[in-house]
Amino acid sequence: MAETSTTPVPARLSMRMRPPWPFIDDVRRFVETLGACTCGGEDRDAQVAMAVHELMQNALAHAAGDDVELDLEIDPGRDRIEITVTNPCSDEAYEQLGARVERMNREPDALAWYLRCMEELPGRSRGGLGLARLRFEAQLEVTLRRGRTGRVAVCAAGKVRAPPLEVGGFNG
Amino acid sequence: MGDSVEGRGSTLRVAGEKFSAEVLSGLRGEPRVEFRGTISSSNPAEVLNPFVEAVHAQLVARRASEISVDFLDLEFCNSSGFKSFVFWLEQIRRLPEAQRYRLRFISSAGRRWQRVSLLALTSFGGENVTIETLSTSRPACPVRPWPAGGAQS
Repeated sequence: MAETSTTPVPARLSMRMRPPWPFIDDVRRFVETLGACTCGGEDRDAQVAMAVHELMQNALAHAAGDDVELDLEIDPGRDRIEITVTNPCSDEAYEQLGARVERMNREPDALAWYLRCMEELPGRSRGGLGLARLRFEAQLEVTLRRGRTGRVAVCAAGKVRAPPLEVGGFNG
Repeated sequence: MGDSVEGRGSTLRVAGEKFSAEVLSGLRGEPRVEFRGTISSSNPAEVLNPFVEAVHAQLVARRASEISVDFLDLEFCNSSGFKSFVFWLEQIRRLPEAQRYRLRFISSAGRRWQRVSLLALTSFGGENVTIETLSTSRPACPVRPWPAGGAQS
């Protein structure tokens, strides 16, 4: 009788879309399903799906109708989740985004940064909360790198087995 | 686009591309706003903020102490949509303390993004936010359009 391996198998997903906006909900749902098969219990699959949605939404704002690429790896064996979303980006937009990510990462408390964004971003302004949201809610660290000519890769990475969040007596 | 805010009689409702919200009245006349669908467009605040302002004005005029914000049928809300709830809390904060009311979020245990997202909103809103998580779907109680007559308390 053949033995059944219990070694967790990494899940990988790569997509290139143009334009992906009409499908962003379907991609999020698919990622949640993929995560449910690989992340185990808790709410990690929903958090990863939310993070993918936010990164893709940011990418769309700068893609100008060009390709947006998504690469996702969930590796329970290494206890590692990596999401990379790549899109066209001008030098000016790259510098602005880089400065925002640097400011965010200088604040070690992800919730404090998220709350500061809520306080400082005018309620009527567009966007601005997505990276802070995924950093706190999905417990992923955000980095940038310049990709192929004129493109930016935004990476969000963290643990598969992230601890439950607790805030002021509530827990998530 | 089809996005709109409308007052149907004295009832407030909003409809976006993939979501809707309507203010209803519970069994005891308490106000309740039900969100349905998916808030995932690029700028939902364009249509949500005017709705929030209209609901806020009615709640203040009727001296409400609380409104239930029902997320049971809200599949997802992106960060741009969440800004409208931050905007709502800003409106409440601007009121004199005696006029402030609470947002009582009713979340679904089955929609697991809601738990953590609402934690952050609780931190932002402080005593103006409470959360109730239901393990089942929408409770079977009749609702009517709100306001249903008489000041809310």
